[in-house]
Amino acid sequence: MIVKQMDLRSNIRKYFDIAYEGETVIVPRKQDHNVVIISEDEYNRLTQAGRLNDYAQALSELRDRKKRLINERGSSLRSHNADKLSAIRSFGANWNGNGAPAFSAKLIDSVGTLIAELDIQPEIFPTAMGTIQLEYDNSRHDHMEIEIADESPEAEVFTVKFNGEEEYGYIPASADAINDKVLDFYG
Amino acid sequence: MDNTFKNTEKLYRVVYPSEVADIFWKIDGTVSSAAFADPKGLSVDRGDYRSDEEVISVMRSRFMGHIISVYVKNCIDTNAIVLYKPSRSNQYHSEIHGSTDRAILSKSQRVHLARCAEILTPRPIN
Repeated sequence: MIVKQMDLRSNIRKYFDIAYEGETVIVPRKQDHNVVIISEDEYNRLTQAGRLNDYAQALSELRDRKKRLINERGSSLRSHNADKLSAIRSFGANWNGNGAPAFSAKLIDSVGTLIAELDIQPEIFPTAMGTIQLEYDNSRHDHMEIEIADESPEAEVFTVKFNGEEEYGYIPASADAINDKVLDFYG
Repeated sequence: MDNTFKNTEKLYRVVYPSEVADIFWKIDGTVSSAAFADPKGLSVDRGDYRSDEEVISVMRSRFMGHIISVYVKNCIDTNAIVLYKPSRSNQYHSEIHGSTDRAILSKSQRVHLARCAEILTPRPIN
């Protein structure tokens, strides 16, 4: 059984009971710092029987599944994003009917390069300020926006968590920095 | 109509550009907060308690693009300001501002309104 950290926190007694009854409870955590909950009996049995390798294999499969899902989502979104960037490149001045500027070719090119290097693909959107907004939504219903502006070495990050908590900040507008931020967001 | 808005009044927004109206649509069928970013303030038509069909019909005669709506209450809830700014060609024209001294909505306000928005014209099929 795979249980989110948040569910575990809210129902810890229930999952301890499940583990006590003999089922293995796996808790995925960010950067694959996963945790496994088993009963004391099961622990003793495993240490005696040397079957911990089975659990290592289960965890490895979990990691592979996660990577596979990310890659599947990424390949279709990557091509969708490339199409969107081409469309945004073609927007002339006043594309929003209210005086928005056209997008600089340099910005579109640099976002194109970024997109190609991102491990997890965002959804991308133009803004009337001539910037490009990258959006991520995770399964906890947290939402993150990263705004890329022309000629700016920094990207503005805005996160709204599922509980309404908000966070503003800046990170370098580089694929490495965004990849780190996104990995942390998906935890 | 005057510069007073009740919480229950609807505000209608055309999402540009009409040629690629789905540019602001997310994969899950909702609209992106980016559609609510405008440094000059967010232009909308006030509903004045007309039916959606009537508003859409009138807006369609003037604008291309898809139409979304939010309630005045959604704006108030996020401390945005709704201003009645009729023009000669559009007696319903209004604007949503971030505050009394800032036309652009904050990122937080944009996300809130995007989450509250009702999409009135069908999402185009990609």
